[in-house]
Amino acid sequence: MLNMTNISKVYRSEMVQTHALRDFNLQVNEGEFIAVTGPSGSGKTTFLNIAGMLETYTGGTYELDGINVGKLTDNGRAELRNQKIGFIFQGFNLIPDLNLYENVEVPLRYRGIKTAERKRRIERCLEQVGLGARAKHVPAQLSGGQQQRVAIARALAGEPRFLLADEPTGNLDSLMARQVMELLESINKDGATIIMVTHDPELARRAQRNIQVVDGQICDFKLYQGGAEQQRATAGA
Amino acid sequence: MSELRPIFNALMRGKTGALLLIMQVAVTLAIVSNAAFIINDRLTYLHQETGLQDQNLFRFNLYTFGKQVDIRQQQEVDETLLRNIPGVADAVVINQVPLSGSGDSTSFNLKPSPQQSQSERAAFFMADEHLLNTLGVKLEEGRNFTAADVVYSQYYDKNAAVALVTRQFIDGLFPAGDGLGQTMYLGDIPLKIIGIVAPMKGPWLKDEKPDNVVLIPQVEGVAFKRVLVRTEAGRRDEVMQQVASVLLASESERVVSNIKGVDELLATYNSQDKLMSNMLLVLICVLLLVTALGISGLALFNVGRRTRQIGTRRALGAKKSDILRYFLLENSLVSISGMILGSILALAMSDVLMRHYSLPRLDNWFILYSLCGIYLMGMLAVYWPALRAAQIAPSIATRNV
Ligand SMILES: Nc1ncnc2c1ncn2[C@@H]1O[C@H](COP(=O)(O)OP(=O)(O)OP(=O)(O)O)[C@@H](O)[C@H]1O
Ligand SMILES: [Mg+2]
Repeated sequence: MLNMTNISKVYRSEMVQTHALRDFNLQVNEGEFIAVTGPSGSGKTTFLNIAGMLETYTGGTYELDGINVGKLTDNGRAELRNQKIGFIFQGFNLIPDLNLYENVEVPLRYRGIKTAERKRRIERCLEQVGLGARAKHVPAQLSGGQQQRVAIARALAGEPRFLLADEPTGNLDSLMARQVMELLESINKDGATIIMVTHDPELARRAQRNIQVVDGQICDFKLYQGGAEQQRATAGA
Repeated sequence: MSELRPIFNALMRGKTGALLLIMQVAVTLAIVSNAAFIINDRLTYLHQETGLQDQNLFRFNLYTFGKQVDIRQQQEVDETLLRNIPGVADAVVINQVPLSGSGDSTSFNLKPSPQQSQSERAAFFMADEHLLNTLGVKLEEGRNFTAADVVYSQYYDKNAAVALVTRQFIDGLFPAGDGLGQTMYLGDIPLKIIGIVAPMKGPWLKDEKPDNVVLIPQVEGVAFKRVLVRTEAGRRDEVMQQVASVLLASESERVVSNIKGVDELLATYNSQDKLMSNMLLVLICVLLLVTALGISGLALFNVGRRTRQIGTRRALGAKKSDILRYFLLENSLVSISGMILGSILALAMSDVLMRHYSLPRLDNWFILYSLCGIYLMGMLAVYWPALRAAQIAPSIATRNV
């Protein structure tokens, strides 16, 4: 459903050109849970941004559900993003002036969903992440893990086929990170395709498939069945 | 409407300075609507119909110091000389000058004093039978003075017996509307009202009854005289330059001074009002500018503060137009709240002005005009920051954590 061929991304500033991605090829199938790892500055976020249409790419082709993303306008990308993609950010990115209910509501409003349906979805999603009772709270009243769960609820409320997460547990301690990971796994079981960038090898190991990005290219990927040996093999490679 | 709820909630929760801006909009509306109303009031006053061709009228003083000069005879010579200058429509020796801001008024009564009776105050102009023509005012009813009506007096030893009046005056003295042909009294002097003239103003526009004017066919033989001259359109300057030499050629033992256009006198008389109007206009502009800057400034500040949240909204599916609309709606909320508050404030302010400066009550239309103006200005002021917000890239959401 996600198909990238020879994607490249060049950032140009006055003096420097940065090749953040080059000849990047990837196919993702429906229902996969993919972990993306790699050294800092290797292009993981760039890949995720392009996959989520937050950025355009310089070369290659990218198809999402058969739609050629390169041909879309800015509005077209916004619409597609709104319909198919849920984002989870390292910094949670909740809107501080809105309460939890209103935060989860944001993408639904942009999609033009009616009030009653919005309410049903928001309540269900907040319930799903275990924060149904705190809808009226503002983000500052929550712990980091709780905030990230709200962000996940927000991503889920649009019922996206795709969840893109950039180091969703990067700002969380290990206990909270594990809770978030379990939440993502259950969402994946319910059918959503997930691509998650992470620095945590332990979390990466729990994904079905691991991609390593080095210098803007996929250098090695392996299917994990949760086996410790393979994990060690990769680490040693 | 439901789109406004989260924007409103965010405004209330955020420390955005929105409250300050609401107050600013309110104060601006209150001051601008009142100032605009006062300006309009002054402009209506300044541009009112005077009934007189002030641009064709001029006046001067004539002081005779020669003891041998027969003042009565010389006056007739002078008037004839003046009336013969090319470009002069008519000229008279007169006791006071209309629209000049200085002159006399007196009370006219239905019965001779000391009897008490209905009375009406009016400015009175005294000159010979050329008076009406020199003023350039039309007779509406009755008859004009003739030479036979004119009385030449010395320290008021004789008195005229007839008078012309404006309709405002006669309707004040005779509310039944039957004044023409009746007699009124200046003290114990009877004056028969022989005609009604078209509306004209007396010497003071700011008088309580500026339209009350009485014309009397009488000339006082004194050494110091005022002269009023009406010229044909566009020829006044030319005539003004000649009067002194023409008059002095006939009799040199006198002084011609203070030759001034009546429009000039009026402008001096009204200069305070003009100045006030202009200052209020400047005040309005400054206030609008400051408020516009306040709106722009707060919006820009908010765009900066919310860069990440705007990027996030974009990432969650907001189009550029959604972001633009958010800021415009937010500004609408601030403006409208400020305006509701401001309307109340405007009325309160008008109340105070009414009580202390004898101004008329603020016309509600002026609140409405100011309201629309400020709202439009606010929208313009917020548009550029809002456009900048719409340009924020969605990738901000994942960058620079
Ligand atoms: N807007 C930009 N302008 C210029 N260069 C950029 C921009 N964004 C990213 N880069 C560069 O592109 C490269 C890839 O960056 P990217 O953020 O994708 O790395 P990353 O793998 O996500 O790193 P990290 O693990 O630290 O988050 C880096 O060299 C980075 O400096
Ligand atoms: Mg990154």
